[in-house]
Amino acid sequence: MIYPKKNNLFKWCVHVYVRWLANRNFHAINFNTIEVDKNRSVLLIANHFSGWDTIVLLWINRKLFKKKFHVMLLESTAIKEPFLKYAGAFSINKTSRDMIYSLDFAAELLDDPENLVLIFPQGKLYSNMVSDIVFEKGIIHVIKKATGSFQLIFAATFIECFENLKATANTHLKNDINVNFNNIGQLQQAYQQHYDNGRQQQIQIVK
Amino acid sequence: MIPARRVKLFSNWFAIYMRFRMRSYFNRLVVMPFKPKEGHSVLLLCNHFSWWDGLWGNYLAYWHLDRKLYIMMQEDHLRKRMLLNLFGGFSIDRNSREMIKSLQYAANLLNDKENLVVVFPQGQLISNHTTEIAVEKGIERLIKNIKGPCQIVYSCALIDYFESLKPSVFFHLYDCGIAGEVPFEELTTRINNFHQQALKAQVAVEH
Repeated sequence: MIYPKKNNLFKWCVHVYVRWLANRNFHAINFNTIEVDKNRSVLLIANHFSGWDTIVLLWINRKLFKKKFHVMLLESTAIKEPFLKYAGAFSINKTSRDMIYSLDFAAELLDDPENLVLIFPQGKLYSNMVSDIVFEKGIIHVIKKATGSFQLIFAATFIECFENLKATANTHLKNDINVNFNNIGQLQQAYQQHYDNGRQQQIQIVK
Repeated sequence: MIPARRVKLFSNWFAIYMRFRMRSYFNRLVVMPFKPKEGHSVLLLCNHFSWWDGLWGNYLAYWHLDRKLYIMMQEDHLRKRMLLNLFGGFSIDRNSREMIKSLQYAANLLNDKENLVVVFPQGQLISNHTTEIAVEKGIERLIKNIKGPCQIVYSCALIDYFESLKPSVFFHLYDCGIAGEVPFEELTTRINNFHQQALKAQVAVEH
């Protein structure tokens, strides 16, 4: 398992690079403002359709959540992009027993109210056009294992082009979610509802 | 109404240049296998969600459907980019009586089996995530006025990123039938069914 590393210079470089990437590739990154409790960590659950979803949510963290950013990545990605560990990335290997350590580590991170942990429970890349969200089971382990008080936030990101050459990312956020999920089906259903609402708002945009 | 002043040499040059530009901007341009009917002109109905749609119509016409491109554009948009007039752009003003002239002009172009006319049946920019395609009434009039053999094709372009930071565009092409043989309501139903099929196919697309 690859753990996040602290290096302020690298961290600063990653943030500058991300800001440059976002400005270069996006016309706008839009999100709805939600209340964030400063005294509780954040478990952020999002749809996974490209590398941009992490960058967009890292951007939103800087603007809204203002927490220490951590993201769970596949080990193959973390090895390919080693600099990501300086931006708070830690790895998970779904085919190894190490997986449980990664999930436990994510739960431990949630003990610190200054932390934000981003997880993509879909477990792999799906099209941004997908209508049915399917979660893998690991996320329930994180929620049950996390002993500290954390807030669960759902994020659904959709990319649009419209009249601009550069794309626009629209992220729909939802907080105040009860974390007492007994199984993955209940969590998946709750997220699906949020995703459908976000998609419905998206569809209604006409230029 | 501004008729097209298509110059074959310029149009061919533009198609080659735009393919070069698109290949550098997009990660992949994937056209699902489709063969137009021989001896038929093509009325290409495209979903309209971005700046790129007209240029993609040009790409499909030149590189995949082997027809001379003509494209129906809003008059104010064409006036701002009169160069496109030389590549097959002609105007329509939806708020004027001249609209009928534009529809008749498009129908006349489709009497020639070598031609392809791109029309955006939605008439405005709608989200790429939309699940329904509203076909404007003008299309009915356009089709009624076509005298020669003309195949109606629906092109559903969908954007996805997957592993790349550059977008990929996937074109799903469907045969909607021959002009004059498909009633307007049936055409609208077919387009919407094909759009649903395209969204499903997109989720299963290889990446």
